[in-house]
Amino acid sequence: MKILCVAEKPSIAKAVAEHLSGGRSETRNTRNKYIKNYVFDYDFGGQPWGNCTVTMTSVLGHITAVEFPSEYKDWKHPPPERLFDAPVNTVIADDKKDIAQNIETQARYSQGLCIWTDCDREGEHIGHEIREAARKGNAALTVKRARFSNIERAHILHAARHLIMLDDRQVNAVAARIELDLRIGYALTRFLSNNLKSLGGPLANLVISYGSCQFPTLGFVVDRYFRVKNFKPETFWSIKVKHKKDGIDVNFSWLRNRLFDRASVVILYERCLAAKTAVVTKVQEKPTKKWKPLPLTTVELQKMSTRFLRMTGQQAMTAAESLYNKGFISYPRTETDRFDKGMNLRTLVQKQAQDNRWGAFAQNLMNGGFQQPRDGRHDDKAHPPIHPITYAGPSAALNEFEKKIYEFVVRRFLACCSEDAKGVATDIDILYGEESFHAHGVIVLERNYLEVYVYEKWTGTAELPKFTLGERFEPHEAMMTEGKTAPQAI
Amino acid sequence: MDLAAQIRSGLQRQGLPTPTLEWVQAVLPNRNPMPPLQALIATAKARLMVVDITNGTVLDASAPALPPNLSNMEVVETKLSRDVLVQVLDIDNLTKSKWEQVEELEAIARGEQTRGREMIRLPAAGEDDDEASYSSASTQALSSAPGGARGAMGASATPKNSTHRLVLQDCKGQKVHGLELHRIERIGIGTMNIGEKILLKKGATVARGMVLLEPTNCTILGGKVEAWQKAWFDNRLARLKETIESQGRDE
Repeated sequence: MKILCVAEKPSIAKAVAEHLSGGRSETRNTRNKYIKNYVFDYDFGGQPWGNCTVTMTSVLGHITAVEFPSEYKDWKHPPPERLFDAPVNTVIADDKKDIAQNIETQARYSQGLCIWTDCDREGEHIGHEIREAARKGNAALTVKRARFSNIERAHILHAARHLIMLDDRQVNAVAARIELDLRIGYALTRFLSNNLKSLGGPLANLVISYGSCQFPTLGFVVDRYFRVKNFKPETFWSIKVKHKKDGIDVNFSWLRNRLFDRASVVILYERCLAAKTAVVTKVQEKPTKKWKPLPLTTVELQKMSTRFLRMTGQQAMTAAESLYNKGFISYPRTETDRFDKGMNLRTLVQKQAQDNRWGAFAQNLMNGGFQQPRDGRHDDKAHPPIHPITYAGPSAALNEFEKKIYEFVVRRFLACCSEDAKGVATDIDILYGEESFHAHGVIVLERNYLEVYVYEKWTGTAELPKFTLGERFEPHEAMMTEGKTAPQAI
Repeated sequence: MDLAAQIRSGLQRQGLPTPTLEWVQAVLPNRNPMPPLQALIATAKARLMVVDITNGTVLDASAPALPPNLSNMEVVETKLSRDVLVQVLDIDNLTKSKWEQVEELEAIARGEQTRGREMIRLPAAGEDDDEASYSSASTQALSSAPGGARGAMGASATPKNSTHRLVLQDCKGQKVHGLELHRIERIGIGTMNIGEKILLKKGATVARGMVLLEPTNCTILGGKVEAWQKAWFDNRLARLKETIESQGRDE
């Protein structure tokens, strides 16, 4: 029996072929220089296929595209609004014809088709495109789909023995989105461009494109720009109280924070000074925690890379994709911030114990420090949170960005499997004249996850001296301060 | 004692200043038989709350006024020697910058409001132009019950540590600033009306010409002067912008 397997991109085809064949596959070139066919034998274990000859190949993302018939090519006629109900044709994109041809030809010799596209909506639709291309070669194909979220060996072998069906609801959801993007994008782009052309100047020969994400985003950007541009700075005044006790400097902040009227602050300040002494009205000590981070999602990865790794979101994603293709981390496009309870996280922790940077921390988790990660509220039902799959040592062939992202993914994962940081928070309120002031201090007792998650600090960790309720003291210094409001950063 | 005089002494017993007999006569309903005295006193009080007390025909010449020269900034501290009825002419939230208040008003004009991190979108205010829809949105926020979506503006604008400054006026037309020394719930933009009456109590502290308001030294009696209220809200945005401009010029 012959089975055709098709992945979403060449790197996945290569990795899966490698695992299924045990490294003994024959590589054949196709008419597309990026795409290879790997031929090997594999036993699917009987449901529905047993021992088979397998050809593993791939596509390069979508094969088909949607377009309007040629009578709609003119931007002026028919008018743009007609594009909302004009017919739409699905065609094989010019640069994908050789790829579709390869699938069609291979399907002719096969009895079964197994789809290995990524398990998300887009992947489901690409799976559907592959199925259509293959059926042109052989309408009688049995079609199955592998469910996998990373290319770690055991995971891939498990997926190959537990094949499922393509989910047509997801396929249809993507098809609807593609059609809406086409109709709305074309209609509004033509409408905007045609109409703004008449303004002349730089707009005379410009395409004003419309996109359902870019348009609202532009709105946010313009809004923020005007907020900053129109901002008017104003002066405010405040009162700060300083005291020194047991050799520790304490800064008390004013409960009113700041007022935008000088005369009022002068009056309140004068009355503080006249009172001479302050009285302690509240002393509260209570245990406090700094929560460990949630399991890592794509958005969070991009945010953190821009904040801490000096990389753009794009660079971070390129590096993460590459790490995924090499099998070091799980699929980096996910919205899920909770781990499946059935997942064996300890084995993943164990793999990191050999590292000389975070290995000791991982070993510590293995020796009883392990705690189940927090559960976030998002689950895209396709991919787990981003986590390390195998260990990549300092000598692994990774570029600088990949190394940084790998380190971040590992540290984040280990932090998730660790414990919240613990400390004691102290709150002290004083009444100075009629005015209330407040001091807050934290003493960190156990750093826990912060040991490995070097990107976060527990700030404001100031120790406060002992104060007792009702205690009176003469503050060493009380100052009236002045400041100016500033706009938000762009 | 005739009816008007009885009503007058009824008001006095509530700590209110004495209105003129003519004014009391004028607010008496033209009904026979007259409603019970308690109802008449309540009516007179309600009417007193919505008039301009500087109008010479309202309060008796003997009505207590603020001591002259009270606004003298040289005087570090003095106390009021008797209860004085005043009306609110202006209210300013000193905790928020003027620009922040401008941005809030403009957001409401666009039909957007925030409560915490939640954005509330009000239905577009009809076919009116921008200027008119803004003022109607803000007055609607005032007229509805607090806690409702439209009342949110007043309620959300006054967190616990807010500090307001009022311009207060006595029956002689003398003006004085009132500074909120301790938070008084009723004081807030959107919750306190312009023309609202406050009874400043004997012993209230006046520091450098500002009355320091605390829940214990003043009673908020309620009421408003409708025309002032409307003018205040209609011109608020323009006033805020003007203040910002003039501050910018000073530097």
